[in-house]
Amino acid sequence: MSHPQRQRSAALARLCLSLGWGLWLGLGSGVPSAMAEPLIVEAALDRPVFQPVLDAFSAEYPQITLDYRDSSSLEADRRARDPEAPPDVVISSAMPWQLALSNEGRAQALDSVEAQHWPAWAKWRNEVFGFTFEPVVMAYRLELASHMLPPTTHRDLLDMLTHDRDWLRGRVVTYSPRDSGVGYTLLQQDARYTSRIWDLVAAMGAADVDLAKSTQEMLEGLSAGRYWLGYNLLGSYAMVWAQNHPDIIVQVPSDYSLVLMRMVFVHRDAPHPEAARRFVDFLLSQRGQHILAGSTPLFSVRDDVIGPYTAQRLRDQVGDHLYPIPVNATLLAFVDPLRRQAFLRRWDRELNILSE
Amino acid sequence: MSVPPVSLKRRLALWLIAIVAGLGTLLLIEAYTSAHKAADRALDGQLAAASLTMAESLQWPDGQPTLEMPASALQILATQWQERVFYWLQADNGRLITRNAELPISAAMRRAAGHHPVFYDADLDGVPIRLHGREIDSAGWDTQEPVQLWVGHTRRGRELLAGELFEKSASRFAAMVLITAALLMIALRALLAPLERLRRALRDRHPDDVEPLALEVPREMREWVDTLNRLLADQRDRRATLLRFIADASHQLKTPLAGLQSTSELALASPDPAAWRRALGEVHDSASRTSRLAGQMLSLTRLRHLGPDQERQPLALDTLLREVVTEWADRQESRDHDLGLALACTLPAWVAGESWALHELLNNLIDNACRYTPRGSQITVTLRDLAPGRLMLSIEDDGPGVEAAARERLTRPFERGQRQDTEGSGLGLAIVDSIARRHGSPLELSAVSPHGLRLSLTLVRLDPPDSAPDTHTPDTGAHA
Repeated sequence: MSHPQRQRSAALARLCLSLGWGLWLGLGSGVPSAMAEPLIVEAALDRPVFQPVLDAFSAEYPQITLDYRDSSSLEADRRARDPEAPPDVVISSAMPWQLALSNEGRAQALDSVEAQHWPAWAKWRNEVFGFTFEPVVMAYRLELASHMLPPTTHRDLLDMLTHDRDWLRGRVVTYSPRDSGVGYTLLQQDARYTSRIWDLVAAMGAADVDLAKSTQEMLEGLSAGRYWLGYNLLGSYAMVWAQNHPDIIVQVPSDYSLVLMRMVFVHRDAPHPEAARRFVDFLLSQRGQHILAGSTPLFSVRDDVIGPYTAQRLRDQVGDHLYPIPVNATLLAFVDPLRRQAFLRRWDRELNILSE
Repeated sequence: MSVPPVSLKRRLALWLIAIVAGLGTLLLIEAYTSAHKAADRALDGQLAAASLTMAESLQWPDGQPTLEMPASALQILATQWQERVFYWLQADNGRLITRNAELPISAAMRRAAGHHPVFYDADLDGVPIRLHGREIDSAGWDTQEPVQLWVGHTRRGRELLAGELFEKSASRFAAMVLITAALLMIALRALLAPLERLRRALRDRHPDDVEPLALEVPREMREWVDTLNRLLADQRDRRATLLRFIADASHQLKTPLAGLQSTSELALASPDPAAWRRALGEVHDSASRTSRLAGQMLSLTRLRHLGPDQERQPLALDTLLREVVTEWADRQESRDHDLGLALACTLPAWVAGESWALHELLNNLIDNACRYTPRGSQITVTLRDLAPGRLMLSIEDDGPGVEAAARERLTRPFERGQRQDTEGSGLGLAIVDSIARRHGSPLELSAVSPHGLRLSLTLVRLDPPDSAPDTHTPDTGAHA
């Protein structure tokens, strides 16, 4: 074939390609179900909180039909291990379990630009990405402040529980480390920073602490007046709740505050890997993070995002005593069954140590 | 099809490439394996450290081994490359204490780890991993149960580290090769410079210039230049010989021509027809002599310009000798001489030769002998066996002989051995020598006692062809 002919045919091919592309786009937007590309997201993240991000994603990728399955962190972990029906994307705040899934080889590495540029402290093996920045807080009812000085630090809390134990008895709530992956992680991390946490556990035990499975449950209990004080709530949920319930005060501990990150990864056996990668890329992208920062209380990790809920703004407000739970192999120790057993044994012992 | 000339530079470059490729492959293989070994050594240390940290946390609270997994151990295991980490802890009685993956640990590996800490490369679900196992003995109040602790991680960091190390060695090697090549090219240029100078010196030479080359060259090229100079010297000698020959030939031709001129002038000046006739006779004699001289010059020139081995065929030398000697015996010129033939060799005597040339040689030799010896001299042509496969042909006379110093020069053209009294052209022996050389040996001259001269040459004997007649016993030739 002579040279000009080849050029002509190449141009023709390009034309066909662009025609096809246009046709495909037209079909994609016009008849979404015809070209539907399903995407299964297994998430331990309340749908109402996350909805703005999901909407934005659907708007950007109308051809992808999102199947968002909201569940608890332990349930999400169980589903991710199901070899029969693996999800495409797994989101969970139970950071050790997410890392364990990656360690078991159930995640696939992403090599997109967003993934490459994601801050190193918020990702592991380019497989698991922490895409939110949620402070762990205390919350109390407004009445508490009228009876006593509300706690601002862990020590304040311990003092209060020690001095006003009888008054607070049955009115304190925290996560159950046994029933909640998040609660277990937070307590483990607390114990790593200081062993005095056990004094706090003992004091809470003496005050007949109630154990909840979720932040939502604690917030509802607080609003209902069942509890006066909650410890280790997810700040993201609590802050939104406090906006609608003025009788609830959210306190970011001023000595140190843990920061939890929702971890997301694309499953190794994702049935729709293309859509899955697009979804995670969207979460990490400036646009995704912008919606996160503006329309959800989940706090954006990215420095280049501006909005009411960003890690940077939180740091400006509460100072530099935010301690994100480190995303590294140390988290894997938390899911070791022996360690978990030993930890929960100690929890049980400490919880009852003052009552005996 | 013409073969392109080889380039020394290209050859050297090819050699360099061959050496570098061969040596480089070996070096790179070595670098590759040692890079992997180094990476393994470095990261095996982390496996051992993680294992140690875990062992420290192992406790036997109720006689049962238990472990509160130290987070730092896992972080050490993960390394900076964020490996997937694995651990596996089992009591000696086979009871599993804890693990986070089903590691491919065989019974043999377990036995080996029982003796001393071990490292293994293994494969977990298609992912290559590195395993480290050891046994921990610990005293307890109730039991002294040993525990096997295995830790492992994926090999990503090792591959990256090894790749980095290998890349470094490879680039060092590449740099070395490039520098060597550059230096070699420079060295080659410098080394080839004398050759270039020689080329220039030869090219810029005038064609007539046969002076030796005066050129500074390295020792290795000295011999080369010497050979060239020898060649030039030979050239010079040949040139000189040629010029002398031409000068001599012109001189030799000039004398009879001058004679002819003066004879004819004298005759023209005389009114006497008898003088004319006499002069015509002289002119005729002189012309035939000159013609013979020219003929001999021609044959000498022809001999010297013929290529080697031309027209050489097997011929029976004894037959040739008989023919020639018989012919000469009948001639006027040998009337006063005693010409004889002695075949003192195994017959027939076959040699490879040019028939016309050997004829010429014998004619000249006999003519010479007749010409330069007094009447009544005895001239004997002899053919005898010299050594196996060699024949000596000689002719000797009992004339006055030639002094040793003059003998040397006899074979040169126009030498007559200080004898200017004969009608010879002075070319006879030069022709004989040329023919003898064409047949493999120079003409040798020696004295015969008590007086006389012997001229001899050596010939290579051939096996007689199949059709040749049977061998005769040597016979002694009769003198004519």
